[in-house]
Amino acid sequence: MIPGLGIATALLLFALLLFATLYRFSSGDTLSSIDDRILGLLRFTLYQATLSTLLSLFFGMILAWSLAHQRHFRGRSLLVALFSSSLVLPTLIVVFGLVTILGNNGWLNHLSLTLTGHSFGSWLYGLSGILIAHVYLNASFASRSLLHSFESIPVEKYRLAKSLGFSAWQRFWLVEWVAVRSTVTSSAATIFLLCFTSFAIVLILGGSPSYNTLEVAIYEAVKIDFDIAFALKLALIQLSISTLLVLLSSTLRTGLGNLKQESTSVTWKEPRYTTLLQYGIISLLAAAFVLPLLAVIADGIGADYSSILTQPLFIRSLITSLIIATVSAILTVLFALMLSDARRTFQLPERMSRTKGSKLLGLLVAFSGNLYLAVPSLIMGVGFFLLSQQFEAPLLLWAIGAVLSANVLMSLPFALSVIAPAMQKTARRYDRLSLSLGLTPLARWRYVELPYLSASIGYIFALSFALSLGDLGVIALFGSDEITTLPWYLYQLMGSYRTTDAAGVALILMLLVLGIFGGIPRFFNKRT
Amino acid sequence: MKKIFILAATALLASMTLHAADKPTLTIYTYDSFAASWGPAPKIKEAFEKENNCTLEFVPSSSAIGSLRKIQMEGAKTKADILLGLDTSIAQTAKETGLFAKHGIDTSRAMLPTEWGDDSFVPFDYSYFAFVYDRNHTQKAPDSFEALVAMPKDFKIVIQDPRSSTPGLGLLLWIKSIYGDKAADYWKSLSPHILTITKGWSEAYGLFLKGEADMVLSYTTSPAYHIIAEKKTNYLAAKFKEGHYGQIEVAAMLKSSQHKALAQKFLQFMLSDTFQDIIPTTNWTYPVVKTKKGLPEGFLGLKVPSKMLLMDGKKVEKERKSMISEWLKAIAK
Repeated sequence: MIPGLGIATALLLFALLLFATLYRFSSGDTLSSIDDRILGLLRFTLYQATLSTLLSLFFGMILAWSLAHQRHFRGRSLLVALFSSSLVLPTLIVVFGLVTILGNNGWLNHLSLTLTGHSFGSWLYGLSGILIAHVYLNASFASRSLLHSFESIPVEKYRLAKSLGFSAWQRFWLVEWVAVRSTVTSSAATIFLLCFTSFAIVLILGGSPSYNTLEVAIYEAVKIDFDIAFALKLALIQLSISTLLVLLSSTLRTGLGNLKQESTSVTWKEPRYTTLLQYGIISLLAAAFVLPLLAVIADGIGADYSSILTQPLFIRSLITSLIIATVSAILTVLFALMLSDARRTFQLPERMSRTKGSKLLGLLVAFSGNLYLAVPSLIMGVGFFLLSQQFEAPLLLWAIGAVLSANVLMSLPFALSVIAPAMQKTARRYDRLSLSLGLTPLARWRYVELPYLSASIGYIFALSFALSLGDLGVIALFGSDEITTLPWYLYQLMGSYRTTDAAGVALILMLLVLGIFGGIPRFFNKRT
Repeated sequence: MKKIFILAATALLASMTLHAADKPTLTIYTYDSFAASWGPAPKIKEAFEKENNCTLEFVPSSSAIGSLRKIQMEGAKTKADILLGLDTSIAQTAKETGLFAKHGIDTSRAMLPTEWGDDSFVPFDYSYFAFVYDRNHTQKAPDSFEALVAMPKDFKIVIQDPRSSTPGLGLLLWIKSIYGDKAADYWKSLSPHILTITKGWSEAYGLFLKGEADMVLSYTTSPAYHIIAEKKTNYLAAKFKEGHYGQIEVAAMLKSSQHKALAQKFLQFMLSDTFQDIIPTTNWTYPVVKTKKGLPEGFLGLKVPSKMLLMDGKKVEKERKSMISEWLKAIAK
């Protein structure tokens, strides 16, 4: 509990320090000087986030609904696993795959040109591209949580509905909607926040600067204009809004939970046309999900790997990325364990939940784990940059610090949602036993918690490793000849002549991320 | 496992440490295509290192303005000795940061379409901005800005961001110097034809060569690359009736440089025949010095605009911010 509280306090102080730094450097006339451009940015940011959220929920919902009712087809579990992997899929890879298929020179246009002589042209850059990429990533994420809610509906309810002769629509509206509604609102809040602060997708597909979000505008103000005052103004606006959103939605977001849990079964024989519809939805959306990934593979296979793998810059990016991801993952696991430990202490009636003030402390701990949603990584980057201007240490050290903190904060919410419930369970089950055996805290970790938690620990280690490995966020501010990560290297390649090299690196990055995300948990499971 | 980490950490450290300390290293920040293996950098490095006992290191950014911003971010701690690749339109901005030193060399060798009098920046090449297209793909290219906006709706161009790229800024000034107060209206009508706006020249040109767009903002001298290096004659620069905006590329040394004498030697070296002869077939622009060897053949067939449009650098700096915000508003969707 004490280390957890310490971590939580440190995280909150860190956020305060950032906020104070941003505020101190800004001229203080933030609110009075909001002009047309800022309003326009704000409007577009909110607009695209709203649309992205609605569309993601729609597709996520119909997919979850279909999957929930079609439980027995070949490859279902593989498909569900694949959809869950979208959580760690690097945005850059998604963009790369989408461009390969939908770009002006992509598969779709080539097919259409051969068949009809008509090209759809280059509609991908702009709002449509941003929406497609957001929906791609978030619909699959939503479908995973929704599917879990569908599957947790008690079988008795279905039996009752069946005996009343409900149609598929009635069943959905009267039985299922009621059950999944809370998941819908909590996913909506999370997706909205993620799209509100979306960076890499807008950076590449936005056709900058016609379609800019606040996040990208902040990046451009620093990196392109070196207009720190303007960047700060935007950052403060962004920070106020996202903090407000996080606070407002904290009642909605019951957690990012359900990432990895077992389920019960629904028994209902579907009428034929419903079955057809469900199969149609599943196959269409599965194809839409898999195609861009296949495109990355197809594009990458032809690359000249003997040249890519021997590029010194590639090797350096790879090593840097692996080291950063390892450190980030270890820190995330430690932080998640300690924060969850503190959280369960304040939450469980067997422990301290009845003590005065523990509710507030518990909330603070929970909020500290979800800081990332309120403080987007780019703003953190700007804060680090400002600090670097004040102190004498070289920019490189600040850059590493910024990237590491961004990675840890980004992974924490997901890690907590997996490990916190598991740790609550161990506390409920083994608190008394451990107490009666007089186990020291260390022995307790060694013999009680670790064996029980190792699978979850493996999962969150892999999750945060994969997330850190694929992220293009803060590094965009600091990336240079001195520090470069694999996603930053790929972004550089995508923006240069060497497109075949880019395809090869994209494939390597994708395989690395998916391999690690799928492989590490296995390794941990084997040990237990 | 541990061994791998140690190995990896050592490799990382080794790759981050600078070169051997016995020779001084002159660090030049520049744009990517200048530093690339096919750009001028390798040949210049070889020639300069042979004449002076030193190591020349080029550090690329996606654009020269990006290099300037990097220097601003690093402040006095920057390891850059020289910034190479800004043009006259943005040089004043750089000057006002107070980070650059006076060059103190004789620049009279430089023969430019305009007078040269800057005491910090030394010119090393020039060209004219132009839209480049593929004759096999576009039969009838526009011959003026008016004709450009009158093209069919699906005729797309790629341009560069005037905030991050010197060609992008060049186009902004080009249009401003023709349309004046009506520039914003022109941008509004051009906006539907803009496929995307890239951070730097390389990305835009790459998109164009990949077939993503019909035309790209580049230089009147870009076709020389396709003629000489690829033996392809289907890439042409569209000649615009209104005239073409010029770009004079420059370099300067940093006040914070630890190797000022060497940096000055490099600036002088830029005006030598050796350097100037490398420029045309690596940077695909005109040299600023009439060398003994003269221009390569592929350049001779290129049309040279009769007049170079160029706004005064000080005037540009005064109006840059307002021009850019006018532009941002005009192209916002």
